[in-house]
Amino acid sequence: MTFAVTVGGNSVECGEDQALLDACLRAGVWMPNSCNQGTCGTCKLHVVAGEVDHGSSPVETLSDEERCAGMALACQARPRGDVELRPQGTSAARTANPLRDMVGTVREVSDIARDTRRILLGLNEPLTFDAGQYVELVVPGSGERRQYSLANTADEDKVLELHVKLVPDGVATHGWLFDGLAEGDEVDISGPLGDFHLPPESEDDGGPMVLIGGGTGLAPLIGIVRTALRRHPAREVVLYHGVRGEEELYDGDRLTELAEQHPNFRFVPVLSHEPADGYREGFPTDAFVEDVSTARGWTGWLCGPPAMVEAGVKAFKRRRMAPRNIHREKFTPADA
Amino acid sequence: MTTTERPDLSWLDEVTMADLERNPYATYERLRAEAPLAYVPVLGSYVASTEEVCREIATSPDFEAVITPAGGRTFGHPAVIGVNGDVHADLRTMIEPALQPAEVDRWVDDLVRPIARRYLEQFESDGQAELVAQFCEPVSVRSLGDLLGLHDVESDKLREWFAKLNRSFTNAAMTSGGEFANPEGFVEGDEAKAEIRSIVDPLIDKWIEHPDDSAISHWLHDGMPPGQTREREYIYPTIYVYLLGAMQEPGHGMASTLVGLFGRPEQLEEVVDDPTLIPRAVAEGVRWTSPIWSATARISTKPVTVAGVDLPEGTPVMMSYGSANHDTGRYEAPTTYDLHRPPLPHLAFGAGNHACAGIYFANHTMRIALEELFEAIPNLERDTRAGVEFWGWGFRGPTSLHVTWEV
Repeated sequence: MTFAVTVGGNSVECGEDQALLDACLRAGVWMPNSCNQGTCGTCKLHVVAGEVDHGSSPVETLSDEERCAGMALACQARPRGDVELRPQGTSAARTANPLRDMVGTVREVSDIARDTRRILLGLNEPLTFDAGQYVELVVPGSGERRQYSLANTADEDKVLELHVKLVPDGVATHGWLFDGLAEGDEVDISGPLGDFHLPPESEDDGGPMVLIGGGTGLAPLIGIVRTALRRHPAREVVLYHGVRGEEELYDGDRLTELAEQHPNFRFVPVLSHEPADGYREGFPTDAFVEDVSTARGWTGWLCGPPAMVEAGVKAFKRRRMAPRNIHREKFTPADA
Repeated sequence: MTTTERPDLSWLDEVTMADLERNPYATYERLRAEAPLAYVPVLGSYVASTEEVCREIATSPDFEAVITPAGGRTFGHPAVIGVNGDVHADLRTMIEPALQPAEVDRWVDDLVRPIARRYLEQFESDGQAELVAQFCEPVSVRSLGDLLGLHDVESDKLREWFAKLNRSFTNAAMTSGGEFANPEGFVEGDEAKAEIRSIVDPLIDKWIEHPDDSAISHWLHDGMPPGQTREREYIYPTIYVYLLGAMQEPGHGMASTLVGLFGRPEQLEEVVDDPTLIPRAVAEGVRWTSPIWSATARISTKPVTVAGVDLPEGTPVMMSYGSANHDTGRYEAPTTYDLHRPPLPHLAFGAGNHACAGIYFANHTMRIALEELFEAIPNLERDTRAGVEFWGWGFRGPTSLHVTWEV
């Protein structure tokens, strides 16, 4: 007889007379453990759902209060049925913005840069999300889904703003968003998704931030940077927008205006392949390393192609930003 | 089994303490293959070298704890690692309350994190450091020193003490006549103990009259009738256990984990980027190079046969946990540091009723120290101009670890 033990997104089989820890370790699911005889307490965890038999767990290591509070020693406890576990020290999942399926109506489609479109989708009901999160669009007729970040702030909740780059032969872009999509069309949407967003306002200390967006990776950063500056108008913020050439730049006026209102905000477009007068040349991650001598105490935000995100993580660490303060959103290329 | 069927172990006659201290792995690899329980002449003792035999003896009702001869010569009696029955129960009852997980959780972060930050602040803008002496060892000794009530003893003095006690404790070479081969090797340990007594005795005098929340004050008073304290001669051997192993080993564990990670740059990067991987990195670090490599022992309480070897009652066996953790019967490519190896339990903290009492505290000290290190210096690299040497048979870890980073 075996039961399902679920921990941190993994599910493993555990015999009725098998310790939870043993089942997890044998299935390659690591959790803190040391003595494996119930005396050190390293493997103590929360039983979120289901019941366990504490076996020979000593009361010195697992008190009655802890048992009542749903704690167990993974090296001693046996499942009495399917159980769900949460390792100690990991907080209960934050109350997430609920995921919804909805229908949006195309309000506007505009070409804003080379092979780049802004699409506005009107909603009947406002959407609850955090700036920086994304939504999925269902590509009509194919059942395929594609993910696009929101450029909105959380209060811009009735018209979603997406920035879309043309993918040659892409099912969603070439075949739909850049071909035939028109005002008034209805679009099936799921969202919000993702964890690329600022901490709650109460936990946001207003510290300095650097954001680097590659191409339409600028979209979520536009939502995040406006939210951050509204919370702390004088905070130090640097936003780099990396593109191949001047023709791919967009929203420059919008960001220049924001910089005029916030003297500690800087917007820096960077051109990697097609130099032009008045613009920085190279990769935005290199521009950051040139500009910022130390990023200790900063938070960093990266959205773009995987190579740019990897380079950004390295650049941030090189300037000694704490890794836990590095937030990243990679474009994972969908099949064309 | 008759002796003629046993493998020829005459090669063991050539093994010296210096060989074992420089690198014990080759000798123990051969022991594991040929004789997992064998008499090793230079140690004057039987040695258990495989995972299975170590675990069997550590948890067997036919064995109890005994301190190694050099350990006993260094610590005296009754040290918690070498006693049994009521005395062991009393000493565990004395030390364990402060080390219970719920208790450790209450203060470990507030204790260790500021200490780690303080040492980091001294060198984080330098662009280079020797982490064993500037970070791993100081964080380890300062955290435990403050916990014990030794706030006024400098970290460098605590480091000097554990080093001297270590060399004395592991001065294990025996003559064929059963005498210590290097009696002069105990002198520096004796000197360290004399200095420890000169500093700790007045503190004990103070704690007897004015108890406080320090661990040694609790050891004196907890569970005693009103007006009485435990005798200082009774607790000193266990104080020495702390001043050696508990002071030294979290530093060894951190440094070995770092050396292991430096050998796997992609795994180092993973751990730096995701600090929740640090406990797993440390678990693999202390499996890979076990800080308490071969420092504890058991003694048979009746005639017993283990691994095909008949042992009379009263036979001591040294537990080689550092060897057990390299057992190819249990771990694939055990000499390789691998954050992602199948996460089987290891023996770095021992097993049975003498398993390390400080597991939880040590693991969290190492975790917090490495969290702070990677937070402050996420661009840490090993300075490849300097090599890394490990030393030790009883206790083992890197002797130095030079690093650089861009500032």
